[in-house]
Amino acid sequence: MSFATAATALPIGIAFGFVLERAGLGDSRVIAGQFTGRNFAVVRVMFGAIVTAMLGVMWLGAAGWINADAIAMPPTNIAAQTIGAIIFGGGFALASLCPGTACVAAASGKRAGVVAVVGLLLGTASTAFLWPVVDGVMNAGLHEGARLPEDFGVPTGAVVFTVTALAIVAMAVARRSKFDHTRAWYQPATLEWVALSLAASFWLTEAKPQQSPSRLAAIASEITNEADHVDPLELAEWIKNSKPGLRIIDVRDNVDSNTYVIPGARVLPLDSVPFMEVASNELVVLYSEGGAHAAQGWVLLRARGLKNVRVLKDGMAAWEDEVMSPAPPARSASTGTSAEIADSATVRFKHARALALWFGGHPRGSDESTQLAVPVSSTSRPISPPKPATRVRRRNTC
Amino acid sequence: MVSATDATMHTDDNNAPAALRYANASAMGVALGFVLLASFVFAGRGIGASGAFAHVTGSVIDAVRPGFLASRPTLADRLPAGVNLWDDWIVWQVLGVCVGAALSAKLAGRWGRSPSAEKNNSQTGTSLAGGVLMGVGARFAYGCTSGLALSGGALLATGAWLFIFVAFGTATLVAFIARTTTRATS
Repeated sequence: MSFATAATALPIGIAFGFVLERAGLGDSRVIAGQFTGRNFAVVRVMFGAIVTAMLGVMWLGAAGWINADAIAMPPTNIAAQTIGAIIFGGGFALASLCPGTACVAAASGKRAGVVAVVGLLLGTASTAFLWPVVDGVMNAGLHEGARLPEDFGVPTGAVVFTVTALAIVAMAVARRSKFDHTRAWYQPATLEWVALSLAASFWLTEAKPQQSPSRLAAIASEITNEADHVDPLELAEWIKNSKPGLRIIDVRDNVDSNTYVIPGARVLPLDSVPFMEVASNELVVLYSEGGAHAAQGWVLLRARGLKNVRVLKDGMAAWEDEVMSPAPPARSASTGTSAEIADSATVRFKHARALALWFGGHPRGSDESTQLAVPVSSTSRPISPPKPATRVRRRNTC
Repeated sequence: MVSATDATMHTDDNNAPAALRYANASAMGVALGFVLLASFVFAGRGIGASGAFAHVTGSVIDAVRPGFLASRPTLADRLPAGVNLWDDWIVWQVLGVCVGAALSAKLAGRWGRSPSAEKNNSQTGTSLAGGVLMGVGARFAYGCTSGLALSGGALLATGAWLFIFVAFGTATLVAFIARTTTRATS
């Protein structure tokens, strides 16, 4: 057991369960009331929570206190999620509990909760047996990190404001159904005014980069967190897979037509970097000989307000070392568990070697190094045109 | 802002005992929002529920039929094998949910008091069937009402908002059909 895992997971879980039980969401009658229009507790809890957390994340991110883009989020897969939501919705109506509230009901000693938890375990397990039938549909069209603002091409602030306004309308509908006698349905509560002003001010202040010290400090912390760079192997993968929106910029001095350039890269002197035009869905990767000039270009672009900018770690030197001519792992005397480590190093090397051959490089210490799997001769391998934004994000496991 | 009348639960049970009265839903929504925000800030991820079911089930299947999950690599996204449950964030979080819910129910004096509507056998069958469908649906959709709709919704994930409207729409429709058919048959 890892103390660090339990130390955040357990208190957050306890608070989550406590609040759900307090709100009555462990009682199947409350949820059933939502679907028949008699009780709006589910919508009130759900929208209240979404708006609160959303405004919190957006404002903390805007203030530079957290890196909102680093928070793990669920992926988008239109077909799989539509089918899943229909099946889930049917089950939701039958049980009048969802997986979280089934746990709440079970833990508060309610029979329906225990039964639903058993059903959930059976249903989850049966997914494995259904899989051969649905596999093709379930894994097509997966978009990691897809968000409404990029997918609809509107500012984040506009979406934040719309969601907040939608929630307030939902609350008004809930009040209209006479379950709240404290005020007329059309009178927003104080908290709703607060939420609406936070959403409106977020929208108004968004996308106007200012060089405030706290903003620059946020950029600095990205550098210390190493969120600013990309490993040569990762970049090689991106190029090989024609990552949408990828733009590679070579900022080295004295690059002429005989100099090797990373496939697809455009040569641009450092003093032109601040003027380069970048579409919002593009991911810019800068590189230089060792990395210093690229890192300075990164700061210029980040200070200009661009978010999706990376530096090739250790520059062209690392690209040649790790991608074009990777070396096999050193065979050193290993102790105990490091056999596994050596194994994974071998796997990594095989992967790197395959990439090297693809890029026309020469892996070291390998019999096949002279064989080129895919001959790549030109320095200007076409990169596919930018498609809707791809954000590089961790996936949430639920 | 929160009055006593506002804080009562309204069901068909007009003379529900005080123990069955629940807190104001909007206030609890804001409280839940702060819990979710704390998870975003301190754990770097959202809260969830069905993920724990997936990790536990995956481990059980892997123990009972070793190699079965490994033979279906595209399933790894939905039902991972080989998760170390003792070091799994979502499993600990759902254990916490159980502790928190039990604590709240005990403090309110409503622990173990199943609503009468939940006690008949046909409801037990319905709850079981509902659980099975939600288990399948959540795996197909990469999450449930907590991990996908709530956590993803707050981060403006496109799939989360799709799930919110489709799942709640379907549930409302199914409940409507169920009501009209039972009314027609009775």
